[in-house]
Amino acid sequence: MHPPMSLILFFLTAGLSIGSFTGIFLIDLIKGLSSNVILITKLIATALIGLGAFSASFHLGHKMRAWKAIKRFNTSWLSREAVFSGIFGFLLFVSFLIQLFYNTKAYIILDILAVITGWLSAFSTAMIYTSNRFVPDWNTSLNTLYFLNMYGFLGTSLASLILYLNGNVESTKIMLIIALSLFIVGLAIRVAYNVRRYIIKLPTLNDALNLPQNREVKVLDKGSTTDNYCTTEFYYKKGKKLLPSLLPPAYILTFAVPIMLLITCIAKETNTSFLALSLMSATVGSFIERWCFFVEGRHVQNLYYGLL
Amino acid sequence: MGTIMGQLALVIDLNTCVGCHACAVNCKEWNTQAEFGPLSDFDPYGEKPSGVWYNRIMTYEIGNYPHTQVLHLPKSCLHCQDPPCVPVCPTGATFKREKDGIVLVNYDDCIGCKLCSWNCPYGCREFDEADKVMKKCTLCIDRIYDEALPPEQRQPACVLTCPAKARFFGDIEDPESEAYKLIKERNGFILFPSADTKPANHYLPKVETKVEVDDNVLKPDNPIFLEVLSRHKGGNR
Repeated sequence: MHPPMSLILFFLTAGLSIGSFTGIFLIDLIKGLSSNVILITKLIATALIGLGAFSASFHLGHKMRAWKAIKRFNTSWLSREAVFSGIFGFLLFVSFLIQLFYNTKAYIILDILAVITGWLSAFSTAMIYTSNRFVPDWNTSLNTLYFLNMYGFLGTSLASLILYLNGNVESTKIMLIIALSLFIVGLAIRVAYNVRRYIIKLPTLNDALNLPQNREVKVLDKGSTTDNYCTTEFYYKKGKKLLPSLLPPAYILTFAVPIMLLITCIAKETNTSFLALSLMSATVGSFIERWCFFVEGRHVQNLYYGLL
Repeated sequence: MGTIMGQLALVIDLNTCVGCHACAVNCKEWNTQAEFGPLSDFDPYGEKPSGVWYNRIMTYEIGNYPHTQVLHLPKSCLHCQDPPCVPVCPTGATFKREKDGIVLVNYDDCIGCKLCSWNCPYGCREFDEADKVMKKCTLCIDRIYDEALPPEQRQPACVLTCPAKARFFGDIEDPESEAYKLIKERNGFILFPSADTKPANHYLPKVETKVEVDDNVLKPDNPIFLEVLSRHKGGNR
């Protein structure tokens, strides 16, 4: 599949936004945090989800019609993603304003709703891909788990940095342990996803043409002298060539570097540079990793073109 | 989606189709100037022409040499009876008509997210880079219900133009229709049954023809071979 950069950017910003706000919200519930930390997180999270929505709109042919995406909420995961992420951003912003200007704790109700809608948005995003049975690589609950977990480790990495910069050393340690656990679980899920990719049985051209399996079939002519929408959208030639050289840095930056840095921060001494480096590494790594996720996706329509 | 009253579809005879691409060309011609047009073209006379086609023909070789068959497969939207492209559309731009089962795209509601094409196992939807919406075969809905046309012309352009008469059009659920009868009598089949989309378009299978050749004909001293050989040499002179 051709990787849409605008959507990959949305995954990252939404993950950082939803994950960080959830992390701070939970720490506030358990240990209590200063109003400043919560306000800063809300502001960053609102900006990030707004940036993500803006970025995702570049994937659309008609940006100004994007609002119409709420119409098929009952059947479309994309519609649900649009609705839930919109509500999440709105609740977060209103909660920020209430907390900033009014001396009331009423915003907590909005925060709880924001956490719920944020994760419903994350789940909907994952399900857009998981529910697609024509890309067998994606059609697994491991895909959903990875998306949710990625939102978790990106968000908690950001939350750790926010906490540490605001002098919450003890809370930072808790957040770091959560982040480290999520990175390790994320690595395990990605490995399982890769193993599954190699063992799943893909349909054949015989299946696509409804021919017996014992008949040899090959493509003689694709019907056009040049590429068309189907051969470029569902099969990214350049990407396939780049995959072997991009997968190792993707895994190293997404998992190895943050895991080593976080272990150092937990076991020895936490410092801003390590936390910032870990966050940057996980974000850049995840960008490459999600790019690979798209390029690795094998769509069954490629069978008709002899590309699967 | 409510109850579908009928299911209009194409039935394509693979035994007759010669892969001439006339159906694709005439589809393009009609649909680029009719109500659902235009269908964009980029660099049409250059090195890398591209654009939207509702209908594409692919050619396959089946079997092992020398026992091979060539199969031409014209493929357009199959107007599935359980279309996976419909529920994923976030705006409802893609819908299946209750009246005749045709799957259409409302261009005014399409946001061009491409999700419908990602959820089509047949690769029968294309993004129009000029109009920024998804496009697909409409079964020439602007022809088949056009009362200004003579009744015999109220058929999809691809059906009317096919020089080999390999394409048929009708209600595959109406026992009186030619399409229904052809599917029943000639074992009409669907593409990718395991995709579980219940395509409405059907194909009539190729009939394997075996030519029995006398072994003597293939001998090198066969006078016919000798004649061919002498002509060949003569041609070289």
